[in-house]
Amino acid sequence: MEKRLLVIGPNGVGKSNLLESVELLGSLRSHRSSSDQDLIHWNNDSAIIRAKTSNDENLSLEFRKVGGRKVLKNGKQLSRHLDLLGSVRCVGFSALDLNLVRGEPLLRRSWLDRVVQQLEPVYGDLITRFNRLLRQRNQLWRYWKDSEQANQDVLLDAFDVQMALVSTRIHRRRNRALKHLQPLAAKWQKRLSKGNEDLELNYLPGSALEGEETELSWRLAIEEQLAGQRNDEERLGSCKVGPHRDEVSFLLNGSPARKFGSAGQQRTLVLSLKLAELELVGATFREPPLLLLDDVFAELDPIRQFLLLEAVGDDHQCLISATHLDAFEGDWRRNSQILELERQQDGILEVG
Amino acid sequence: MHLLRQPKEKIQVFSNALLNAKSKVGQCKRCFHLTAGEECEICLNQQRDPSVICVVADSRDLIALERTREYKGLYHILGGLISPMDGIGPDLLNISHLVNRVDRENTKEVILALTPSVEGDTTSLYLSRLLKVFVKVTRIAYGLPVGSELEYADEVTLSRAIEGRREVE
Repeated sequence: MEKRLLVIGPNGVGKSNLLESVELLGSLRSHRSSSDQDLIHWNNDSAIIRAKTSNDENLSLEFRKVGGRKVLKNGKQLSRHLDLLGSVRCVGFSALDLNLVRGEPLLRRSWLDRVVQQLEPVYGDLITRFNRLLRQRNQLWRYWKDSEQANQDVLLDAFDVQMALVSTRIHRRRNRALKHLQPLAAKWQKRLSKGNEDLELNYLPGSALEGEETELSWRLAIEEQLAGQRNDEERLGSCKVGPHRDEVSFLLNGSPARKFGSAGQQRTLVLSLKLAELELVGATFREPPLLLLDDVFAELDPIRQFLLLEAVGDDHQCLISATHLDAFEGDWRRNSQILELERQQDGILEVG
Repeated sequence: MHLLRQPKEKIQVFSNALLNAKSKVGQCKRCFHLTAGEECEICLNQQRDPSVICVVADSRDLIALERTREYKGLYHILGGLISPMDGIGPDLLNISHLVNRVDRENTKEVILALTPSVEGDTTSLYLSRLLKVFVKVTRIAYGLPVGSELEYADEVTLSRAIEGRREVE
């Protein structure tokens, strides 16, 4: 079987849907939307993704307007959706990722979260819990605006304790993942820039992480900061300490790539980050993950396409989408299976 | 359909029962459990230990705990959990009643039996901070369901179970 599948077709035909469905099986989340409702066709009650893997596993992931998700593995319903993870491992690279260096900090946090989630599936629970705590806490100030209450500090203490613990766990995991990514990304950046660029990844946590890196000392430091910022928080209506304020900085030869990097350097950097991710996931599980390249080729010049091809080699199975076959330079087309999609009337896309 | 096939008299009895339940069942003035009288059966039962109060979110949780036939103390129903997103602050729950009750009844121990969600944990931590200055506060252990295999337990449950570990007697 060919290692590369090129999916070709006009805009809106469903190329990204196809790649996104593989991403969903691999990570249970989509980089394009955070709500399952967006994944269901407007006049249908549900959407289903079915797949058969080379390990002969039959996977099915159903999104329902009412009743949430339903996950099946080999015909058996999984009570814990997380148990689906591991059947398909993939690393996605889409045109949206090209903003990783230049865009909002949120993009860099989500990128890092996707990496951590691949390595540690429970991480998703930590993020969900933290987001809920933060929403409840922010809402609390609105609640108190209407009526001043007794024991406000006691209730805030109750939030501080929980948020400090969850924040510590998130900070530690993000920090650890970046440390693993750093040497790999630096190696790729060096190679892709023909030895000219030294890349450094820095974790800038949204809490001041004082003391040695133990769960206890970080937790206590965060608890103290949460208590210390309450007056500001009351004025602004939002919490200023925690992993929701995390940032990752990329330094090229010592200067922030976000400000001083050229457009070309920034693209090479994104490529390095993705290759580092691919290598880290592959090394952790001793199996090369699937690479999903969604509409990035139109954005990459021939030199970077060539470098990417060379870097990916023949180890990884790749699913690649583009509007035209011309987008691919040189060897990308060789040894590839080409799938041309045409617009369908009924919205059903058959891939045979 | 089943109801429509029943004789008229039966339907009459049934609907009277529903109306009766609606008009007569109220809340126990002591613990806020459902009752037709002033106080509920549990609060009136002389066999139970009045020095221990188990705090639950609503009457359904009380009924679940009663099915175990293990617990012999009294209860206190909060009427929900703290959730600012849903407009529920501590003032809307039966919390000040609980504090007064612990003081008045000279309670020895308060057991918190709330779900381990963000809202449940927030409510537990809030209550324990309010109460622990003058009464012993404990909370139910979170751990593995009996009959389940360790290797199939999820990591969140397992880490909670490890946090709540106990010395072997």
